[in-house]
Amino acid sequence: MSQLVIFMKWEVLIFLGGLAALVALQLLTGQINTDGLFRDIGPKGSGQTSSARVQLLIMTVGAAAYYISQVVANPNPGTFPAIPTAWPVILGGSNLLHLGTKAFTAWFGQRKTT
Amino acid sequence: METSPAMQTLTLVCGYTICVLIGLLGLVVLWKIFDGSIDLSELLDETGGGASMSRFQLLIFTFVFAFSLFLVIVSAKTPAFPNIPGTVLSLLGISGSSYLVSKGIQFSDPAALRAQGTEIVISPNKATVAPGKTQQFTADVSKAGAKLVWEKIAGDGSIDATGMFTAPATVTGGHSYATIQISSPDIPGAVDLAVITIVS
Repeated sequence: MSQLVIFMKWEVLIFLGGLAALVALQLLTGQINTDGLFRDIGPKGSGQTSSARVQLLIMTVGAAAYYISQVVANPNPGTFPAIPTAWPVILGGSNLLHLGTKAFTAWFGQRKTT
Repeated sequence: METSPAMQTLTLVCGYTICVLIGLLGLVVLWKIFDGSIDLSELLDETGGGASMSRFQLLIFTFVFAFSLFLVIVSAKTPAFPNIPGTVLSLLGISGSSYLVSKGIQFSDPAALRAQGTEIVISPNKATVAPGKTQQFTADVSKAGAKLVWEKIAGDGSIDATGMFTAPATVTGGHSYATIQISSPDIPGAVDLAVITIVS
């Protein structure tokens, strides 16, 4: 039965790793469209780089890296590491800022004319 | 209760069979993503076009959580589904909720649902101008900074590069017509027309 467990572990690892690698590769090569990821595009957007989007990316990557490092260095294997409650609060605030900016632009922005 | 050797063998065979089938399914999915049969090009796109930061965040957190779950399960002495802390669930909840709210905001503005970067709308789309007078036209452009080309494609009068139409000083029979077109080399295929009635 232990052989089966080892087989399953490698199976899941190959699938997850392969999927992550493919998505990362397609993001880096542009096959997955990332045009406008940082720009305030849309019929009422300014078309310029949005600081709200940039800060959301920084917070997201930071939170993800921190969490993965906690899982890897967890002194209690087999359990999820505890996350300080500040992190969900910080991330929630970051998302709120991004969504607030998005909502303001969508509802009160001027449609582009030339 | 001890299971018989036959039952243990059967369990093992079923286990391996299921693993192999799921493994093959996974490999097929990975291959189809690799060769483009499963198209991920719009994985991050919003309905109106352009990449969504909320979708990107959801993607990152999904992978982070999936890998974390895998590492936690395999590092346990006996593999078992672990207890997931509320703070982890809250991170996922924040990410998912942010995506949903972002969708809601986007759908609250119908203009945002139209494909981005593919539209020009002329305004006004019809006008009446006296001979010798002018009429200013404007263009509502979906792609910021797109170069605009104004043309008179039929009738009398002229239009300049800023969209100012000038009717001829005299018209035969008391009235005439003109059709103007707005297009952009930066938005292939997007055009709009306006019809002008020139009446003395």
